[in-house]
Amino acid sequence: MWSKRKEDELPQRPERPVSTPAHSPAPVEPLRRETNTMSSPTRSFDPEPSSVRSGSAALGKNVTVKGQIFAREDLTIDGEVEGTVECHEHRLTIGPNARVQAGLKAREIIIQGSIQGNVDATDKIDIKKEAKLVGDIKTSRIVIEDGAYFKGSIDISKPNAAKAAPQPPAPSVSSQPLSQPVVSTPAPVTAGSVK
Amino acid sequence: MRFGAANGAPAKPSPKDTPPAVTRHSSGFDQFCGFLRSAEGLSVLDMSGASQANITFITGLGHRISSDDIVGTMQQCFGADFLDNQQAASNAQRFIEQTLTFPDQSFDGALVWDALQFLISPVLEDTVTQLLRVMRPGGIMLLFFNADEKATRTPVYNYRIQDQKTLLQTPRSGYQRSQHFNNRMLERLFDRAASVKFFLTRDHLREMIVRR
Repeated sequence: MWSKRKEDELPQRPERPVSTPAHSPAPVEPLRRETNTMSSPTRSFDPEPSSVRSGSAALGKNVTVKGQIFAREDLTIDGEVEGTVECHEHRLTIGPNARVQAGLKAREIIIQGSIQGNVDATDKIDIKKEAKLVGDIKTSRIVIEDGAYFKGSIDISKPNAAKAAPQPPAPSVSSQPLSQPVVSTPAPVTAGSVK
Repeated sequence: MRFGAANGAPAKPSPKDTPPAVTRHSSGFDQFCGFLRSAEGLSVLDMSGASQANITFITGLGHRISSDDIVGTMQQCFGADFLDNQQAASNAQRFIEQTLTFPDQSFDGALVWDALQFLISPVLEDTVTQLLRVMRPGGIMLLFFNADEKATRTPVYNYRIQDQKTLLQTPRSGYQRSQHFNNRMLERLFDRAASVKFFLTRDHLREMIVRR
Protein backbone atom coordinates (compact mmCIF):
# COMPACT_ATOMS: atom_id res chain seq x y z
CA MET A 1 0.00 0.00 0.00
CA TRP A 2 2.68 2.48 1.00
CA SER A 3 4.91 1.84 -1.88
CA LYS A 4 2.03 2.13 -4.31
CA ARG A 5 1.23 5.61 -3.11
CA LYS A 6 4.78 6.67 -3.62
CA GLU A 7 4.71 5.37 -7.15
CA ASP A 8 1.64 7.41 -7.88
CA GLU A 9 3.46 10.53 -6.97
CA LEU A 10 6.29 9.86 -9.34
CA PRO A 11 4.67 10.86 -12.62
CA GLN A 12 4.07 14.39 -11.44
CA ARG A 13 7.74 15.11 -11.27
CA PRO A 14 8.65 15.57 -14.89
CA GLU A 15 6.61 18.78 -15.06
CA ARG A 16 9.77 20.79 -15.16
CA PRO A 17 12.50 20.15 -17.71
CA VAL A 18 14.10 16.85 -17.09
CA SER A 19 17.68 17.06 -16.04
CA THR A 20 20.22 14.43 -16.80
CA PRO A 21 20.01 11.84 -14.15
CA ALA A 22 23.51 10.61 -14.65
CA HIS A 23 24.77 11.14 -11.14
CA SER A 24 21.50 10.81 -9.28
CA PRO A 25 21.55 7.98 -6.83
CA ALA A 26 19.65 5.10 -8.23
CA PRO A 27 17.19 3.82 -5.68
CA VAL A 28 14.78 0.99 -6.20
CA GLU A 29 13.29 2.35 -9.40
CA PRO A 30 16.08 3.67 -11.51
CA LEU A 31 14.54 2.70 -14.81
CA ARG A 32 11.67 5.17 -14.78
CA ARG A 33 13.88 8.04 -13.89
CA GLU A 34 16.28 7.52 -16.69
CA THR A 35 13.48 7.85 -19.17
CA ASN A 36 12.68 11.29 -20.49
CA THR A 37 8.93 11.13 -20.50
CA MET A 38 6.78 13.79 -22.08
CA SER A 39 3.73 12.69 -20.20
CA SER A 40 2.82 10.38 -17.42
CA PRO A 41 3.51 6.74 -18.07
CA THR A 42 0.51 4.59 -18.81
CA ARG A 43 -0.95 2.11 -16.43
CA SER A 44 -0.68 -0.97 -18.48
CA PHE A 45 2.39 -0.26 -20.53
CA ASP A 46 5.71 -0.78 -18.97
CA PRO A 47 8.54 0.74 -20.94
CA GLU A 48 10.76 -1.91 -22.36
CA PRO A 49 13.67 -3.38 -20.56
CA SER A 50 15.58 -1.46 -23.18
CA SER A 51 15.25 1.60 -21.02
CA VAL A 52 18.08 0.17 -19.02
CA ARG A 53 20.27 1.64 -21.70
CA SER A 54 21.19 5.22 -21.33
CA GLY A 55 19.16 7.54 -23.50
CA SER A 56 15.60 6.65 -24.29
CA ALA A 57 12.62 8.89 -24.77
CA ALA A 58 8.91 8.26 -24.50
CA LEU A 59 5.70 9.87 -25.68
CA GLY A 60 2.96 8.96 -23.26
CA LYS A 61 -0.53 7.96 -24.21
CA ASN A 62 -1.97 11.43 -23.69
CA VAL A 63 0.46 13.06 -26.08
CA THR A 64 -0.43 13.98 -29.65
CA VAL A 65 2.25 15.01 -32.11
CA LYS A 66 1.74 16.23 -35.64
CA GLY A 67 4.88 16.63 -37.67
CA GLN A 68 8.30 15.11 -37.88
CA ILE A 69 10.08 13.36 -35.06
CA PHE A 70 13.80 12.69 -35.28
CA ALA A 71 15.29 10.81 -32.38
CA ARG A 72 18.92 10.10 -31.66
CA GLU A 73 18.04 7.68 -28.94
CA ASP A 74 15.58 4.87 -28.41
CA LEU A 75 12.03 6.11 -28.55
CA THR A 76 8.78 4.75 -27.21
CA ILE A 77 5.50 6.10 -28.54
CA ASP A 78 2.28 5.34 -26.75
CA GLY A 79 0.25 8.33 -27.88
CA GLU A 80 -0.93 9.71 -31.20
CA VAL A 81 1.48 10.69 -33.93
CA GLU A 82 0.82 11.97 -37.39
CA GLY A 83 3.71 12.68 -39.76
CA THR A 84 7.05 10.90 -39.79
CA VAL A 85 9.17 9.29 -37.14
CA GLU A 86 12.85 8.59 -37.65
CA CYS A 87 15.26 7.09 -35.18
CA HIS A 88 18.09 5.86 -37.30
CA GLU A 89 20.42 3.52 -35.45
CA HIS A 90 17.96 3.21 -32.60
CA ARG A 91 14.98 1.26 -31.43
CA LEU A 92 11.45 2.53 -31.89
CA THR A 93 8.69 1.00 -29.79
CA ILE A 94 5.06 1.61 -30.64
CA GLY A 95 3.16 0.96 -27.42
CA PRO A 96 -0.25 -0.69 -27.11
CA ASN A 97 -2.12 2.59 -26.75
CA ALA A 98 -0.40 4.23 -29.70
CA ARG A 99 -2.24 5.39 -32.79
CA VAL A 100 0.27 6.31 -35.42
CA GLN A 101 -0.39 7.65 -38.86
CA ALA A 102 3.14 8.05 -40.02
CA GLY A 103 6.04 6.62 -41.91
CA LEU A 104 8.47 5.02 -39.49
CA LYS A 105 12.20 4.50 -39.87
CA ALA A 106 14.48 2.99 -37.28
CA ARG A 107 17.05 0.31 -36.73
CA GLU A 108 14.59 -1.86 -34.86
CA ILE A 109 10.84 -1.38 -34.54
CA ILE A 110 8.57 -3.09 -32.04
CA ILE A 111 4.86 -2.70 -32.71
CA GLN A 112 2.09 -3.25 -30.21
CA GLY A 113 -0.32 -0.48 -31.17
CA SER A 114 -1.98 0.72 -34.33
CA ILE A 115 -0.05 2.06 -37.29
CA GLN A 116 -1.11 3.34 -40.65
CA GLY A 117 1.94 4.03 -42.74
CA ASN A 118 5.04 2.46 -44.16
CA VAL A 119 7.57 0.95 -41.83
CA ASP A 120 11.26 0.73 -42.57
CA ALA A 121 13.62 -1.01 -40.16
CA THR A 122 17.20 -1.66 -41.13
CA ASP A 123 17.57 -4.49 -38.67
CA LYS A 124 14.33 -5.98 -37.41
CA ILE A 125 10.59 -5.53 -37.03
CA ASP A 126 8.71 -7.24 -34.26
CA ILE A 127 4.91 -7.19 -34.60
CA LYS A 128 3.10 -8.31 -31.49
CA LYS A 129 -0.25 -10.05 -31.52
CA GLU A 130 -2.25 -7.02 -30.44
CA ALA A 131 -0.75 -4.84 -33.17
CA LYS A 132 -2.54 -3.48 -36.18
CA LEU A 133 -0.46 -2.38 -39.11
CA VAL A 134 -1.69 -1.15 -42.46
CA GLY A 135 1.22 -0.26 -44.68
CA ASP A 136 4.27 -1.65 -46.37
CA ILE A 137 7.21 -3.09 -44.51
CA LYS A 138 10.84 -3.03 -45.49
CA THR A 139 13.29 -4.75 -43.22
CA SER A 140 15.99 -7.37 -42.88
CA ARG A 141 14.19 -9.54 -40.37
CA ILE A 142 10.61 -9.77 -39.25
CA VAL A 143 8.88 -11.46 -36.35
CA ILE A 144 5.10 -11.46 -36.43
CA GLU A 145 2.91 -13.04 -33.80
CA ASP A 146 -0.23 -14.91 -34.76
CA GLY A 147 -3.21 -12.67 -34.25
CA ALA A 148 -1.52 -9.49 -35.39
CA TYR A 149 -3.44 -7.64 -38.06
CA PHE A 150 -1.31 -6.74 -41.02
CA LYS A 151 -2.33 -5.50 -44.42
CA GLY A 152 0.43 -4.57 -46.80
CA SER A 153 3.56 -5.93 -48.34
CA ILE A 154 6.81 -7.15 -46.86
CA ASP A 155 10.10 -6.57 -48.57
CA ILE A 156 13.03 -8.35 -47.00
CA SER A 157 16.28 -6.60 -47.81
CA LYS A 158 19.15 -8.90 -47.04
CA PRO A 159 21.73 -7.28 -44.80
CA ASN A 160 24.38 -9.15 -46.79
CA ALA A 161 23.87 -6.96 -49.81
CA ALA A 162 24.43 -3.76 -47.91
CA LYS A 163 27.33 -5.30 -46.08
CA ALA A 164 29.12 -6.49 -49.16
CA ALA A 165 29.98 -3.03 -50.48
CA PRO A 166 32.17 -1.54 -47.74
CA GLN A 167 34.02 -4.80 -47.16
CA PRO A 168 37.77 -4.22 -47.00
CA PRO A 169 40.11 -6.47 -48.96
CA ALA A 170 39.03 -9.92 -48.12
CA PRO A 171 40.30 -13.29 -49.15
CA SER A 172 38.61 -14.20 -52.38
CA VAL A 173 35.85 -16.40 -51.13
CA SER A 174 33.71 -14.20 -53.32
CA SER A 175 30.37 -15.71 -54.17
CA GLN A 176 29.78 -17.70 -51.02
CA PRO A 177 26.29 -16.74 -49.88
CA LEU A 178 25.94 -15.90 -46.24
CA SER A 179 23.05 -17.96 -45.08
CA GLN A 180 22.55 -16.41 -41.66
CA PRO A 181 22.26 -12.71 -41.05
CA VAL A 182 24.55 -12.43 -38.06
CA VAL A 183 25.37 -8.79 -37.62
CA SER A 184 23.18 -6.09 -38.98
CA THR A 185 24.80 -3.11 -40.52
CA PRO A 186 22.42 -0.24 -40.98
CA ALA A 187 21.74 -0.07 -44.66
CA PRO A 188 20.88 3.17 -46.38
CA VAL A 189 17.23 3.64 -45.70
CA THR A 190 14.84 4.30 -48.51
CA ALA A 191 11.46 5.68 -47.76
CA GLY A 192 8.09 4.53 -48.81
CA SER A 193 6.81 1.44 -50.41
CA VAL A 194 8.14 -0.25 -53.42
CA LYS A 195 5.30 -0.76 -55.79
CA MET B 1 -23.35 -17.28 -64.83
CA ARG B 2 -24.91 -16.96 -61.39
CA PHE B 3 -24.10 -18.67 -58.18
CA GLY B 4 -26.89 -18.51 -55.69
CA ALA B 5 -26.91 -18.74 -51.94
CA ALA B 6 -27.85 -21.82 -50.06
CA ASN B 7 -30.98 -21.75 -47.95
CA GLY B 8 -31.05 -21.36 -44.23
CA ALA B 9 -29.28 -19.26 -41.67
CA PRO B 10 -25.54 -19.46 -41.48
CA ALA B 11 -24.04 -21.57 -38.77
CA LYS B 12 -22.31 -19.49 -36.20
CA PRO B 13 -18.83 -20.35 -35.08
CA SER B 14 -18.86 -22.55 -32.06
CA PRO B 15 -15.57 -23.38 -30.41
CA LYS B 16 -17.01 -26.64 -29.12
CA ASP B 17 -17.08 -28.41 -32.44
CA THR B 18 -14.12 -26.67 -33.95
CA PRO B 19 -11.78 -29.26 -35.40
CA PRO B 20 -8.19 -29.37 -34.21
CA ALA B 21 -5.26 -28.06 -36.19
CA VAL B 22 -3.89 -30.63 -38.60
CA THR B 23 -1.05 -30.87 -41.02
CA ARG B 24 -1.87 -32.03 -44.49
CA HIS B 25 -0.11 -32.81 -47.70
CA SER B 26 -0.98 -30.41 -50.50
CA SER B 27 -0.25 -31.23 -54.10
CA GLY B 28 -1.64 -27.88 -55.15
CA PHE B 29 0.78 -26.03 -52.93
CA ASP B 30 3.58 -28.26 -54.16
CA GLN B 31 2.83 -27.10 -57.68
CA PHE B 32 2.56 -23.50 -56.51
CA CYS B 33 6.02 -23.83 -54.96
CA GLY B 34 7.39 -25.18 -58.21
CA PHE B 35 6.27 -21.94 -59.79
CA LEU B 36 7.85 -19.90 -56.99
CA ARG B 37 11.14 -21.71 -57.38
CA SER B 38 11.22 -21.00 -61.09
CA ALA B 39 12.09 -17.34 -60.55
CA GLU B 40 13.26 -14.86 -57.97
CA GLY B 41 11.81 -11.57 -56.89
CA LEU B 42 8.18 -12.47 -57.47
CA SER B 43 5.30 -10.77 -55.71
CA VAL B 44 3.07 -13.13 -53.78
CA LEU B 45 -0.25 -12.35 -52.16
CA ASP B 46 -1.27 -14.34 -49.08
CA MET B 47 -4.95 -13.94 -48.34
CA SER B 48 -5.10 -15.71 -45.00
CA GLY B 49 -3.62 -12.86 -43.04
CA ALA B 50 -0.08 -12.41 -41.86
CA SER B 51 1.76 -15.34 -40.37
CA GLN B 52 5.36 -15.89 -39.47
CA ALA B 53 5.51 -19.27 -41.19
CA ASN B 54 4.21 -18.03 -44.53
CA ILE B 55 6.30 -14.87 -44.48
CA THR B 56 9.47 -16.79 -43.65
CA PHE B 57 8.82 -19.38 -46.34
CA ILE B 58 7.96 -16.97 -49.14
CA THR B 59 10.63 -14.38 -48.38
CA GLY B 60 13.13 -17.21 -47.87
CA LEU B 61 12.64 -18.04 -51.54
CA GLY B 62 13.59 -14.48 -52.39
CA HIS B 63 10.09 -13.18 -53.03
CA ARG B 64 8.07 -10.31 -51.76
CA ILE B 65 4.90 -11.12 -49.85
CA SER B 66 1.76 -9.10 -49.33
CA SER B 67 -0.86 -9.97 -46.77
CA ASP B 68 -4.57 -9.41 -46.92
CA ASP B 69 -6.95 -11.14 -44.57
CA ILE B 70 -9.96 -11.72 -46.77
CA VAL B 71 -11.88 -13.72 -44.15
CA GLY B 72 -11.26 -10.97 -41.62
CA THR B 73 -12.69 -8.45 -44.07
CA MET B 74 -15.70 -10.71 -44.63
CA GLN B 75 -16.31 -10.84 -40.92
CA GLN B 76 -16.07 -7.07 -40.66
CA CYS B 77 -18.38 -6.43 -43.57
CA PHE B 78 -20.93 -9.19 -43.15
CA GLY B 79 -20.86 -9.98 -39.45
CA ALA B 80 -22.45 -13.07 -37.96
CA ASP B 81 -25.32 -13.48 -40.43
CA PHE B 82 -22.78 -14.13 -43.02
CA LEU B 83 -24.74 -15.20 -46.07
CA ASP B 84 -27.78 -13.03 -45.49
CA ASN B 85 -25.71 -9.92 -45.06
CA GLN B 86 -23.97 -10.45 -48.36
CA GLN B 87 -27.25 -9.86 -50.10
CA ALA B 88 -27.35 -6.27 -48.95
CA ALA B 89 -25.80 -4.27 -51.75
CA SER B 90 -24.16 -1.81 -49.39
CA ASN B 91 -22.36 -4.58 -47.51
CA ALA B 92 -21.24 -6.21 -50.72
CA GLN B 93 -19.97 -2.90 -52.04
CA ARG B 94 -18.07 -2.25 -48.83
CA PHE B 95 -16.47 -5.67 -49.01
CA ILE B 96 -15.36 -5.23 -52.61
CA GLU B 97 -13.92 -1.80 -51.82
CA GLN B 98 -11.89 -3.17 -48.93
CA THR B 99 -10.68 -6.34 -50.59
CA LEU B 100 -7.87 -6.56 -53.10
CA THR B 101 -7.22 -2.85 -53.17
CA PHE B 102 -4.04 -3.32 -55.12
CA PRO B 103 -3.04 -1.84 -58.45
CA ASP B 104 -3.61 -3.87 -61.61
CA GLN B 105 -1.23 -6.76 -62.21
CA SER B 106 0.52 -6.50 -58.86
CA PHE B 107 1.13 -10.18 -58.21
CA ASP B 108 2.74 -13.21 -59.76
CA GLY B 109 1.21 -15.60 -57.27
CA ALA B 110 -1.76 -15.57 -54.92
CA LEU B 111 -2.58 -17.89 -52.06
CA VAL B 112 -6.34 -17.45 -51.92
CA TRP B 113 -6.87 -20.57 -49.80
CA ASP B 114 -10.53 -21.41 -49.06
CA ALA B 115 -12.18 -18.01 -48.69
CA LEU B 116 -14.17 -17.89 -51.92
CA GLN B 117 -16.53 -20.71 -50.98
CA PHE B 118 -18.23 -18.45 -48.44
CA LEU B 119 -19.21 -15.79 -50.95
CA ILE B 120 -22.46 -15.64 -52.82
CA SER B 121 -23.31 -14.14 -56.14
CA PRO B 122 -22.64 -11.38 -57.17
CA VAL B 123 -19.95 -10.80 -54.52
CA LEU B 124 -18.22 -13.98 -55.63
CA GLU B 125 -17.95 -12.97 -59.27
CA ASP B 126 -16.83 -9.46 -58.32
CA THR B 127 -14.12 -10.89 -56.10
CA VAL B 128 -12.91 -13.20 -58.85
CA THR B 129 -12.83 -10.24 -61.23
CA GLN B 130 -10.71 -8.34 -58.72
CA LEU B 131 -8.42 -11.32 -58.27
CA LEU B 132 -7.80 -11.63 -61.97
CA ARG B 133 -7.22 -7.90 -62.18
CA VAL B 134 -4.44 -7.87 -59.58
CA MET B 135 -2.71 -10.91 -61.07
CA ARG B 136 -0.12 -10.58 -63.78
CA PRO B 137 -0.59 -12.61 -66.95
CA GLY B 138 0.97 -16.01 -66.36
CA GLY B 139 0.65 -15.67 -62.60
CA ILE B 140 -0.95 -18.48 -60.63
CA MET B 141 -3.43 -18.73 -57.79
CA LEU B 142 -4.02 -21.52 -55.31
CA LEU B 143 -7.59 -22.00 -54.13
CA PHE B 144 -9.31 -24.58 -51.96
CA PHE B 145 -12.94 -25.63 -51.94
CA ASN B 146 -14.59 -28.10 -49.66
CA ALA B 147 -15.62 -31.06 -51.76
CA ASP B 148 -17.99 -32.67 -49.28
CA GLU B 149 -21.44 -32.30 -50.77
CA LYS B 150 -23.19 -33.12 -47.51
CA ALA B 151 -21.31 -30.72 -45.28
CA THR B 152 -23.60 -27.98 -44.01
CA ARG B 153 -20.95 -26.10 -42.13
CA THR B 154 -17.41 -25.67 -43.27
CA PRO B 155 -14.57 -24.53 -41.08
CA VAL B 156 -12.57 -21.55 -42.16
CA TYR B 157 -8.90 -22.33 -41.77
CA ASN B 158 -5.73 -20.41 -41.45
CA TYR B 159 -3.14 -22.08 -43.63
CA ARG B 160 0.44 -22.04 -42.42
CA ILE B 161 3.17 -23.30 -44.66
CA GLN B 162 5.31 -26.01 -43.12
CA ASP B 163 7.33 -26.95 -46.17
CA GLN B 164 6.94 -27.28 -49.90
CA LYS B 165 4.32 -30.00 -49.61
CA THR B 166 2.84 -29.58 -46.17
CA LEU B 167 0.40 -27.09 -44.71
CA LEU B 168 -0.78 -26.64 -41.16
CA GLN B 169 -4.53 -26.02 -41.08
CA THR B 170 -5.67 -24.10 -38.03
CA PRO B 171 -9.43 -23.60 -37.75
CA ARG B 172 -10.49 -20.06 -37.01
CA SER B 173 -14.27 -20.23 -37.34
CA GLY B 174 -16.99 -22.05 -39.18
CA TYR B 175 -19.47 -20.85 -41.75
CA GLN B 176 -22.09 -22.26 -43.98
CA ARG B 177 -20.83 -22.41 -47.51
CA SER B 178 -22.70 -20.44 -50.11
CA GLN B 179 -23.10 -23.63 -52.13
CA HIS B 180 -21.30 -26.77 -53.15
CA PHE B 181 -18.77 -26.11 -55.87
CA ASN B 182 -18.03 -28.83 -58.36
CA ASN B 183 -15.33 -28.74 -61.02
CA ARG B 184 -17.64 -27.60 -63.76
CA MET B 185 -18.88 -24.62 -61.77
CA LEU B 186 -15.36 -23.62 -60.86
CA GLU B 187 -14.25 -23.82 -64.46
CA ARG B 188 -17.09 -21.51 -65.37
CA LEU B 189 -16.25 -19.16 -62.55
CA PHE B 190 -12.71 -18.81 -63.85
CA ASP B 191 -13.53 -18.98 -67.53
CA ARG B 192 -11.44 -15.86 -68.19
CA ALA B 193 -8.30 -17.50 -66.80
CA ALA B 194 -5.74 -19.12 -69.07
CA SER B 195 -6.05 -22.52 -67.38
CA VAL B 196 -7.40 -24.30 -64.33
CA LYS B 197 -6.18 -27.49 -62.76
CA PHE B 198 -7.77 -29.55 -59.97
CA PHE B 199 -6.29 -31.79 -57.33
CA LEU B 200 -8.68 -34.08 -55.53
CA THR B 201 -7.71 -35.10 -52.05
CA ARG B 202 -8.92 -37.64 -49.55
CA ASP B 203 -9.95 -35.08 -46.97
CA HIS B 204 -12.79 -33.46 -48.91
CA LEU B 205 -10.71 -30.54 -50.03
CA ARG B 206 -10.61 -29.73 -53.70
CA GLU B 207 -7.41 -27.92 -54.55
CA MET B 208 -7.27 -25.74 -57.59
CA ILE B 209 -4.52 -23.97 -59.48
CA VAL B 210 -5.64 -21.14 -61.73
CA ARG B 211 -3.28 -19.55 -64.19
CA ARG B 212 -4.11 -16.01 -65.22
